[in-house]
Amino acid sequence: MPQTTIYVAPRLGGAHGSPPPAVDTDGLARLFGRSAALAGVSLRIEAGRTVALLGPNGAGKTTLLRILATAIRPSFGGLFIDGVDALRHPEIIRTRVAYLSHVSGMYDDLTASENLRFAATMLGWSGAEVATVAERAIAEVGLAPVADDRVGSFSAGMRKRLALARLLVARPSLVLLDEPHAALDEDGMTLVDRLLGLWHEFGITVVVASHQADRVVRAADATVRLHGGLVAEVSGSGVRAGALAPVIPSHATPLGTIR
Amino acid sequence: MSALRRNATIALAIARKDALAELRGRQAVGSTIFFAALVLLLFGFALGPDSRRLAEAAPGLLWLAIVFGGLLTVARLHQLEADDGALEQLALYPVDRRAVYAGKALAGAGAMLLLGGLLLPVVAILYGVPLGAAWAPLAVTVVLGSVGFAAVGTAYAGLTVRMRAREVMLPLLMLPIVAPLLLAAVKATVAAVAGDPFGELGAWLQLLAGFDIVMLIAGAATYGFLLED
Repeated sequence: MPQTTIYVAPRLGGAHGSPPPAVDTDGLARLFGRSAALAGVSLRIEAGRTVALLGPNGAGKTTLLRILATAIRPSFGGLFIDGVDALRHPEIIRTRVAYLSHVSGMYDDLTASENLRFAATMLGWSGAEVATVAERAIAEVGLAPVADDRVGSFSAGMRKRLALARLLVARPSLVLLDEPHAALDEDGMTLVDRLLGLWHEFGITVVVASHQADRVVRAADATVRLHGGLVAEVSGSGVRAGALAPVIPSHATPLGTIR
Repeated sequence: MSALRRNATIALAIARKDALAELRGRQAVGSTIFFAALVLLLFGFALGPDSRRLAEAAPGLLWLAIVFGGLLTVARLHQLEADDGALEQLALYPVDRRAVYAGKALAGAGAMLLLGGLLLPVVAILYGVPLGAAWAPLAVTVVLGSVGFAAVGTAYAGLTVRMRAREVMLPLLMLPIVAPLLLAAVKATVAAVAGDPFGELGAWLQLLAGFDIVMLIAGAATYGFLLED
């Protein structure tokens, strides 16, 4: 496997030259109808930390990651990423966050190479750099032999690898991973573990939600356990949780509560 | 890289991506063209064998077929994004939303031009309308009509792509807005085919161009909000 190239967003200076927290949330809540997927999450994550986000189905892990990625807005609460107000300036946050979601976000009728070149262009690479970074990233996730095949013919695991390659084309300060090990074979899972180590080494903050608890906890500085849309437990270093009480209106029901 | 150049690069990349996906999904392109041609054929059956009546109705039927085919085209260009979470990924790229709109509208206009270009000879053959002499004003009409339809269709397809009843909502929302375009395009086509005896072609083309400019500005200004959750 070729040597992996990691691109990093430039650091933003905080007060007195100290870096601001990578993630700073204040009572984040998200309602879907009358159900609260998140009921009030206050977390502060230091820059450069790898944080494992654990919890049962419906705990709010995916919703929290999607809010951090600016894919959805919270119903209540505040969010700062690298000291920037993410709700007021999502366009700045999107230059600094790389997000791996449940779905690949790829186009079936385009080849793996075309998909990644498109992603590279959208992520700010230009001219000859586009082909170089795209092909390098495809090789790094082990998809070079099928680079010219259409993604429509790919298995779920190959799509996941290609989505991982898109993360390698980005220049993030914060990487958000939602079930990165899902659908991958043992080699693929080892690749994810290796990337987790590299991002940590390069000082990139990583928040990773996974049901492969052993694997992610091994790579993490800290663990945050969610339950019913709230932080249930925080352990390790570099992460602090605020008030654990829900901030949502009384008519809403936590999504994690199965009735 | 200047912001303008960067936006042009983004728009062209999106248009190229959509064009590639459209051309490779040959069934979809072929079906749309076949559907629009079938609409023309059925209108012909409905109006009967009176060749004069068919020739008189031809400009209106041509544009109705373009509108019906265009509805499928703009919907499909956004459906590409809805598959496997591509729309959310597109929304998360750190790019100017106006450039995304321009790229999608460019792809839509290209597909509409192809459709209009293919339907013109179909109309000439089915309805016995001599279009050869009027090819230049007809080409301008089809270009302006395609751009206007794509400008509106891109915005409305972006609005409805996340809706469950999007197949119904898109035409329901869009058709009233494109009514002025349909009227101007039909009138311009009638004038062009007749050799512009009353000198009104220029006015209808100006109306089409004005519609395009207003809709492109409105679409570019609102599309970013449509991409957000």
